[in-house]
Amino acid sequence: MTSKEVLLSLKDVTITFPKGKGVFTAVREASFDIYKGETFALVGESGSGKTTIGRSIVRINPLAKGSIEFEGKDISGRLNSEDTKWVTKSIQMIFQDPATSLNERATVDYIISEGLYNFHLYKDEADRKAKVLKSLTEVGLLDEHITRYPHEFSGGQRQRIGIARAMVLEPKLIVADEPISALDVSIRAQVLNLMKTLQEDKGLTYLFIAHDLSVVRFISDRIAVIHLGRIVELADTEELFKNPLHPYTKSLLSAIPMPDPIMESKKVPLFYDGSQHDYSTDLPSFVEISKDHFVWANTKELETYTKALVV
Amino acid sequence: MSSANEKFQFVKIDEFASEHISAPHYSYWKSVFKQFFKSKLAIAMLFMAVIIFAIAMIQPLFSNYNPLASPDISDFSIRFNRPNLTYWFGTDHWGNSLFDAVWSGARTSITIALLATSINMTVGITVGAIWGYNKKLDKYLLEIYNVIANVPFLLVALMLIYVLGPGFWQLIFVLCMTEWLSIAYFIRTQVMIIRDREYNLVSRTLGTSSTRMISRNILPFLTSVIVTLLSREIPSIISTEAFLSFLGVGLPPSITSLGKLISIYITYYGTYPYLFWIPVAVLASVSVSFYIVGQTFADASDPKTHR
Repeated sequence: MTSKEVLLSLKDVTITFPKGKGVFTAVREASFDIYKGETFALVGESGSGKTTIGRSIVRINPLAKGSIEFEGKDISGRLNSEDTKWVTKSIQMIFQDPATSLNERATVDYIISEGLYNFHLYKDEADRKAKVLKSLTEVGLLDEHITRYPHEFSGGQRQRIGIARAMVLEPKLIVADEPISALDVSIRAQVLNLMKTLQEDKGLTYLFIAHDLSVVRFISDRIAVIHLGRIVELADTEELFKNPLHPYTKSLLSAIPMPDPIMESKKVPLFYDGSQHDYSTDLPSFVEISKDHFVWANTKELETYTKALVV
Repeated sequence: MSSANEKFQFVKIDEFASEHISAPHYSYWKSVFKQFFKSKLAIAMLFMAVIIFAIAMIQPLFSNYNPLASPDISDFSIRFNRPNLTYWFGTDHWGNSLFDAVWSGARTSITIALLATSINMTVGITVGAIWGYNKKLDKYLLEIYNVIANVPFLLVALMLIYVLGPGFWQLIFVLCMTEWLSIAYFIRTQVMIIRDREYNLVSRTLGTSSTRMISRNILPFLTSVIVTLLSREIPSIISTEAFLSFLGVGLPPSITSLGKLISIYITYYGTYPYLFWIPVAVLASVSVSFYIVGQTFADASDPKTHR
């Protein structure tokens, strides 16, 4: 990345859900920037709020606080129809489970055209058809698939239909919500490579949500680690793997399986216990500890982290 | 060795070949009809339903049966004739042909059933779809439903008929007023099951409008449920109409229906049983044939049965 143009910017994003009479805070004050053309990964365990952040960016989950800016324009509140069209066209999402994210009673033709129909993004019927076919070819499917129903496809093919559906709108940012975790291990690489190729061809920006760190290391430029709705660490991919500072990041990295059974059996996973932080008087904040490396820590922890930093 | 190299050469993998689907093209409605026509009983019942429907619609045009007019009332010889070649279904206590009376009655019953059912289904499905889709609306509509659904049907029906007076359209109105809400409630529940599936979320990220969501994402999944409902609704309306007519409310004396015929001829149940049993048999044939055709079609419209 030579140019560091901010495409998407989250500022103090807090997302809550009603829970009984009170509220449940799924995401607390998340702030990060995604630069144009990069792959930004959001990792964390189940229920940590990564999908919630992704869905708030595509405007499904409303924000309780904070703002989301896309190309410098706030998109978190209500928008007029012109802006809605622009945001929907520009930010698309790839979903986790290809088994449930396709309408079983619609043909591939309709599934891919849905976004085009909604905003009438085609000149005439022939133009629409051409766009659908182009998008199908891009994801490596055949023209003849256009009249087929989702149940006739394999998992990998279905996920590629999901990608084609997002691509046909020619978006700038794609929120990929665990796009390969529901796929068979043998076809994960196929979909990942397709995503990489499309990124290079079209200059796309990805927000890649995942829990599989080895995949994240392969595909992403920067990683944010999220724990219980709080972003605890954010750094360039290699920097994070070299210098994990927050104990939760360390624990996550220690859990990566090793492809060697002997080494795997000797591995000692680190357990993360939130009670090790003493935030009673010394309040933590999200600090840039070294260039482009942010960590959630208080003053005391920051000292120990700085010492541990490998340059 | 060299000869083997000449004969064989490396072939590149054709990546697109593995994407090819060899199964024949699947068409939803084609599979539905294929599945439907597999059932011999359904074909027979469809045949019967069509025949009954055709006779009921055409025969009264020629017979000009009028329940108030009894042209042969003074001719005692044609009273209570058992079914014979002249009077296929026999004659009644006024010397009227039962054949004419039955088909005139069937025509009224079937017309009322079809009209009331189509109104009920249209209103019920439309309201039910919006009701199930809109969470805010659900809160209020559910309370209204709870109140209305607990008022006995017969009470509402009788009250409405006394207010509106007897008549063909009044009866249809009554049958609609009492039925549409339960259809709407049923559809609401079905819509709620499908509403929160993930592909609907996908549609929201694509900016799909609610109308399109209901028509393209939700209702296509309810085809078999709706057809099942339809197959129950038509016989149910026919029976309800017969029941109301049997009680003597609903239709004016100038219009006959199967229910009315049964209520008139039940007096001769012991003496001239054909007068009672023939209208009952026609009523049953209509109900059963419509029901079986509908049920088979409902099963066929469930894609799980397609192979």
